[in-house]
Amino acid sequence: MNMSILVADDDPVIRRLLEKRLGDVGYGVTVAVDGVEAAGKLASSHFDVVITDLVMPGDIGGIELLQIAKDKDIMTEVIVITAHSSIDTAVDAMKKGAVDYLEKPVNFDELFLRLEKIAQLKSLVRNADDLRNAMDVTESSAAQTIQNLEITAADLQLKIDQIDTFLRDSQLNEYDKIDKALQVIGS
Amino acid sequence: MIKITPEELKTITGYIHDISGIHLEASKKYLLETRLSSVVEEHGCGSYQELYQKAKRDARKVIEKQIIDAISTNETLFFRDNGPFELLRNKILPDLIDARTPRSPRLKTPLRIWSAASSTGQEVYSIAIVLKELLNDISKYNIKLLGTDISDAAVKQASMGKYNKFEIERGLTRDKLNKYFTLSGGFWKIKDEIRAMANFRKLNLMLPFAGLGKFDIVFCRNVAIYFTLEDRKKLFNKIADILEPDGYLIIGSTESLTGICSRFTPKRHLRSIFYQLK
Repeated sequence: MNMSILVADDDPVIRRLLEKRLGDVGYGVTVAVDGVEAAGKLASSHFDVVITDLVMPGDIGGIELLQIAKDKDIMTEVIVITAHSSIDTAVDAMKKGAVDYLEKPVNFDELFLRLEKIAQLKSLVRNADDLRNAMDVTESSAAQTIQNLEITAADLQLKIDQIDTFLRDSQLNEYDKIDKALQVIGS
Repeated sequence: MIKITPEELKTITGYIHDISGIHLEASKKYLLETRLSSVVEEHGCGSYQELYQKAKRDARKVIEKQIIDAISTNETLFFRDNGPFELLRNKILPDLIDARTPRSPRLKTPLRIWSAASSTGQEVYSIAIVLKELLNDISKYNIKLLGTDISDAAVKQASMGKYNKFEIERGLTRDKLNKYFTLSGGFWKIKDEIRAMANFRKLNLMLPFAGLGKFDIVFCRNVAIYFTLEDRKKLFNKIADILEPDGYLIIGSTESLTGICSRFTPKRHLRSIFYQLK
C-alpha cells in the first residue's frame, strides 16, 4: 500500500534523512520544518501517517500536532519521535492516540517495520470497509423489497380477514356474501 | 485449531440453543471451530465434548458465559442504518410525546424504550443522543432506556460506554463524537449525561420477560435472525405482550414479521417501517 507520510521535525538533518529514506522505499513524503507548518499541511491535504518530533519550536509541539491530526481524521496514524529523556511524554502521546514512538537516533529498520504494520492494518480496514459498504448496498436494496412485500402481505391479510367476516356473517344471504367478498377482492 | 466431530457438532449446537436461543446450522462448523477452540484450550480440554461436560458441571456458569460471548455476534455501530433513528426523531417520539404528556405541567412525561439486543451499547447510546437532541430539557421527562443482551461481555462494555477508534469511527459524525464522547487513554468514553440515561442488563430473549414492565418503544433489530422460526414466533409474541397498545416496534431493515406474528401490523413512514399492535 502506497502511504502518504507527513514528517514534522525542526532538525534539518533528521528531516532530510527521513525524507530521503522514506522516499527511497516508495512512500509519498511531505516535510514540515515545525508543528505550525505541519498543521497547515494537514489542513490542506490528507496523510495516512504523521511522523513528528515531540519537541518543536513554536506554538504547536508533537502532542498538539497529534491532536490536530486525529481531529481531522481519526484514521491518520501518528508516530512520535522522542529523545530518550522524554519517554514519559511519548507514553503520554500514546495515551492520546499515537500509534507508536521511536527513540532518537531513529533506527530505520524499526521505522520501516512499523510503517509496514500500519500499511497492513490500513489495508485490512479498507477491505472491511469495502465489505461493509457492499453489505450496506445489498441490505438497503433487500430492505426496500422486504418492506414492499411486508406492506403487500399486510394489505392482503386485511382483505382475507374482511372476506372471512362477510362469509361468516349469518345475517347475509349467499349472494350478498359472494358479492361483498368480490368487492373486497376487486378493491 | 481443534476440529469438531459430527457428534460434537450436534451436542454443542444443541447446548448453544439451550443456553442462548442461537440456532446454528451444521454448516456453521467452521464458525464454531474458530470461535470456540480457544475456549476448549483455555479450560484444558482435549475436545468439544469435554468442554461441554465441563460447562454442564460448572455451577458458576463461567464456561457457559464464555461460550455465549464467543458465539454471539456483536456486529453493531452507532446509528446503524440511519432509518430507524430518523423514524424515532421525526415520527415516533413526537407522536408519543403528544400522547403521553400529562395535563399537569408538574408531572413528567414518561418514555420507556427497550433495546432488546443492545450488544455493546451503540444502539442504546444512539437512541439516547436522539432523545437528548430532540427533547432539549430531558429533566422534564421520565425516561427509562433499557439495553439488554445475552452476552455478559457485551453488557459490560455497553455499561462502560467505552469504544476504540474502529468502533467509534463507524457511524458517528465528528460533531457528535466531540459533543458526546471524551477521549481518555486512547479510548472514547460516552459522556456521563448520556450514560446516565441508560441501563444495561443481561437477558436471554428465550426466557420469560418477567419484571421488565411495559414499553412504549421496542427495538429488536437483527437478533431474531439467529433464532429458529418457532423461537421467533415466541419472541415477538412476548414483545407484543409487553408493548403498550399504542407502542412502537422496530425490527431490522431486512427482517419481516409476515408469518411470524399476526398481532402486529406494519406501517410505513418515508423509507422506514415500524410495527404497531392491531
